[in-house]
Amino acid sequence: MSIERTRNFCIIAHIDHGKTTLSDRLLQVTGTVADREAQDQHLDAMDLERERGITIKMHPVAMRYRAKDGHVYKLNLLDTPGHVDFAYEVSRSLAACEGALVIVDAAQGVEAQTVANVHLANKQGLTIIPVINKIDLPNSDIPTVKRQLEDILSIPAEEAILASAKVGLGIEEILEAVIHRIPAPKKWDDEKVRALVFDSTFDSYRGVVTYVRMMSGSLRAGDGVKMMSNNRPYEVKEVGVFTPKMEAREKLEPGDTGYVIANIKASSEIKIGDTLTGTKFPATQPLPGFQEIQPMVFSGVYPINTADFEHLKAAMAKLQLNDSSFVYQAESSVALGFGFRCGFLGLLHMEIILERLRREYDMDIIATYPSVIYEVLKTNGEMLNVDNPEFLPDFSVIDEIREPIVKCFIMVPNEYISPLMQLIMDKRGVLDHTETLDTKRVMLSCVMPLAEILVDFNDKIKSITRGYGSMDYEHAGHRADKLVKLDILVNGEPVDAFSSIVHRDKAEGRGRQLAAKLKEVIPTQLYQVAIQAAIGGKIIARESVSAMRKDVTAKCYGGDISRKRKLLEKQKEGKKRMKSIGKVNIPQEAFIEVLKSS
Amino acid sequence: MAKNPIRHLYVHIPFCAKLCPYCSFHVETAMRNKSQRFLDALLIEIERQAGAFKIEPETIYFGGGTPSALSLSQLEFLLPRLRERFDPGRLVEFTFEINPATVSAEKARLLRALGVNRISMGVQSWDDSVLKTLGRAHTAAQSQRTFDTLREAGFDNINIDLMFAIPGQSHEQWMRTLEKTGALQPEHVSAYCLTYEEDTEFFRKLQTREFAQDENRDADFYEITMDALGAAGYVHYEVSNYAKPGRESLHNFAYWDGRDYLGIGPSAFSTVGAQRWQNVPDSRDYADRIFAGDSTASFTEQLSDATKLGETLAFGLRTNRGVPVSAITPWREQMREFRELGLLENSNGRLVLTRKGKLMADAVAEAFV
Ligand SMILES: Nc1nc2c(ncn2[C@@H]2O[C@H](COP(=O)(O)OP(=O)(O)OP(=O)(O)O)[C@@H](O)[C@H]2O)c(=O)[nH]1
Ligand SMILES: C[S@@+](CC[C@H](N)C(=O)[O-])C[C@H]1O[C@@H](n2cnc3c(N)ncnc32)[C@H](O)[C@@H]1O
Ligand code: SF4
Ligand SMILES: [Mg+2]
Repeated sequence: MSIERTRNFCIIAHIDHGKTTLSDRLLQVTGTVADREAQDQHLDAMDLERERGITIKMHPVAMRYRAKDGHVYKLNLLDTPGHVDFAYEVSRSLAACEGALVIVDAAQGVEAQTVANVHLANKQGLTIIPVINKIDLPNSDIPTVKRQLEDILSIPAEEAILASAKVGLGIEEILEAVIHRIPAPKKWDDEKVRALVFDSTFDSYRGVVTYVRMMSGSLRAGDGVKMMSNNRPYEVKEVGVFTPKMEAREKLEPGDTGYVIANIKASSEIKIGDTLTGTKFPATQPLPGFQEIQPMVFSGVYPINTADFEHLKAAMAKLQLNDSSFVYQAESSVALGFGFRCGFLGLLHMEIILERLRREYDMDIIATYPSVIYEVLKTNGEMLNVDNPEFLPDFSVIDEIREPIVKCFIMVPNEYISPLMQLIMDKRGVLDHTETLDTKRVMLSCVMPLAEILVDFNDKIKSITRGYGSMDYEHAGHRADKLVKLDILVNGEPVDAFSSIVHRDKAEGRGRQLAAKLKEVIPTQLYQVAIQAAIGGKIIARESVSAMRKDVTAKCYGGDISRKRKLLEKQKEGKKRMKSIGKVNIPQEAFIEVLKSS
Repeated sequence: MAKNPIRHLYVHIPFCAKLCPYCSFHVETAMRNKSQRFLDALLIEIERQAGAFKIEPETIYFGGGTPSALSLSQLEFLLPRLRERFDPGRLVEFTFEINPATVSAEKARLLRALGVNRISMGVQSWDDSVLKTLGRAHTAAQSQRTFDTLREAGFDNINIDLMFAIPGQSHEQWMRTLEKTGALQPEHVSAYCLTYEEDTEFFRKLQTREFAQDENRDADFYEITMDALGAAGYVHYEVSNYAKPGRESLHNFAYWDGRDYLGIGPSAFSTVGAQRWQNVPDSRDYADRIFAGDSTASFTEQLSDATKLGETLAFGLRTNRGVPVSAITPWREQMREFRELGLLENSNGRLVLTRKGKLMADAVAEAFV
């Protein structure tokens, strides 16, 4: 099929505006997925995605559509995640497309990620098709959304397609617009292979599966290929497309989006954003690719069972192949043993990686309190990057600690401006300026410490604004502040996993809160347990868990003896699995609870 | 044939009129299974075992379920035939578990006449509101009448089962139940802290947080129990058991001492030497296997010397006899720690749990497994 009848587009939007639901409809209408196979959120294939109702990974699908002009078109769709942590997925998807459907929820209107994603698409020079979705909702407000498109996004309102992914309105119109408005892929004047590697997964039988967008040339099994960044040669074993499951094809042609399986064994051999080219007639210039993403949130991840260290390492390597934005490096902790310092894009990303390690790789793990990277300027002029509170040098040799800051954009309805300003202040933010978006809403631009927006900032905005506020942020360098190290001691011994770097003004509150939480989750022991929070050796909070009073089974007779013995064995095993710190057994759940609560 | 004769015999009668929401014993409510065929199966099993072992019981224990659910004629059929199948010459204690709702004066007299000399009665509480929470079929008044009936029938060795730390039960309510029990002066009292057993309705309610457990509250219940029953003249001779001097349950002591015992009937456990097994926990399946000549065991376990020793120490420690100091040499360090914590004490060359230690028996016993 000719490249003129190929369209590559992605679906972008703020979280929950209906990207995946709309993708479902497109799959159904084009007959890509038979009605009987169709299930809601078809593309959200991971259990985690289904359970949480959000998209985590981008999902490519190749569809065929007979348009009203009588021709059959190849439509390559990429569904993307809406959450800010996964903005990287969006930017990579954009690089593989010529156009983007921008979905706006008819009841919620334009939100922070809508703005951010439209900016990204504009920067890439993509054709944008605005879609106002969920018009079936009784509280949908089409005129307002149209005004927002114009006022906030500078998109002509008359271009908007009215749709309901849920009830199936406007679907044909969207497909026709894709064909008529989005340009066909650019034609190159040579036939050299240029395939943009925009994602990859790992299959334990077949090795690395690279996701490619063919810019020029064709690929088929048997072809010799190489990665342009390192010139490593491979032989193509299989090519194919996503329907959405992997389906082998005889070849991939210019304009196609699909996958390539070559004899690539290890995750480390490929780089997302690289260009795959042929070995016979290689391209001379790689495709633009994309800026490498830097992880922003760090946490120590440890196996509960020290013997699992190697397993965990292997699991992380595999996960990294499916997700190059996740990084890890071996480290050790007094309390937790050998593990890894991991870097994530954000807190949701961290949660998801941990959950996947637990589920897909069956790893028993715990993670320390998330930290950002601090720049520490020592009195001798030396500068350190510290992503683990343990590596903070002694305060006597520290000149200043600089923390990463972000520029944060918060869209809120007018009536919530003042509680939001309060929230920004509580989070140590400084309001930069306020911009009126339309008659009902403003955009607050502020500068905030990254550490403060990580945990519950977004949730707080949602709850203050009853769901009508949203935020987006971009990194904005570092800024010095009064930061201290908060330690937690159990029976006098510091538990390194609980140490954190916090602002002086917040340290006491957090210390008290941590100590109280620990008191709740440390089970009673044979001895009384003392819990203390300290800043630089000064105790700022203390709690204690009194000694256990009762640990006895009421009944044990002939029939129960084996069972009872096994219960005792289990109890003993359980204690072995706990981390013992200063004679105190701290169960894994306690670490998780505390690390979660903070 | 094993050399040592079996001195302790258990018979499981799994039938109960209704299932209590906290109970995890093997219980069946389908009374049609409580049939002649079932009784025949019991007799065949004991006959078989008498072929394999020398059975000369000092104690017999009919437990359940509710053994008193057997009808007069069933009792008249079963008990004499059972005794014909072994040598009852050494028998000193013959216990029958009963539910207060299922014993008439006639049944009590019959049991006595058939040689039963000890009754264990599931009273649980003398408070009707607590009985209601427990889903018991009887009232406190009924328990009182049954107790009198048993005394009138000539039983001079009666145990009363009680339960505490029941959802909604106050310490005062429990104290009144203990006082009332003390006033009745049964020879033996078993006072169990409610255990939330998996696969019971109570357990589910605990998980859904309809019920809550509190270590301190439970510990207080234990202390109240020890004080009240001690004051009423009972010896606290095992974590949950109290007896008038000389009225300890010989049968139960056999378990805690690690002696051999044979269990007959569905779900019953036996331990002979290094061998432990359990019969299938289903009365139909059990009878089918008996009549087909198949093994009734659905679980078997070979106990290593170490396991057996560990068990004997772990369970022996629950009793007021404790364990000989000489036996715990491999665990000396840990035991010293327990002594320092005030959980264990040395009494005439034996290690016994202190009052505080009785509430922590599992933490100590854990060392031995
Ligand atoms: N009423 C109505 N609900 C819709 C419509 N489209 C989607 N939804 C609902 O909106 C919610 C979010 O839909 P998704 O398709 O998962 O949204 P998404 O944009 O893919 O979300 P992320 O991938 O997490 O960013 C779901 O509960 C959908 O059922 C629509 O047209 N009408
Ligand atoms: C096997 S029952 C036999 C008595 C008879 N079936 C009855 O319930 O009246 C023995 C005793 O165990 C106790 N018991 C049963 N389930 C219990 C539980 N979950 N927790 C604590 N004690 C329990 C009760 O006191 C009961 O009387
Ligand atoms: S009567 Fe006894 S054995 Fe039967 S269900 Fe109730 S507690 Fe369990
Ligand atoms: Mg989605």
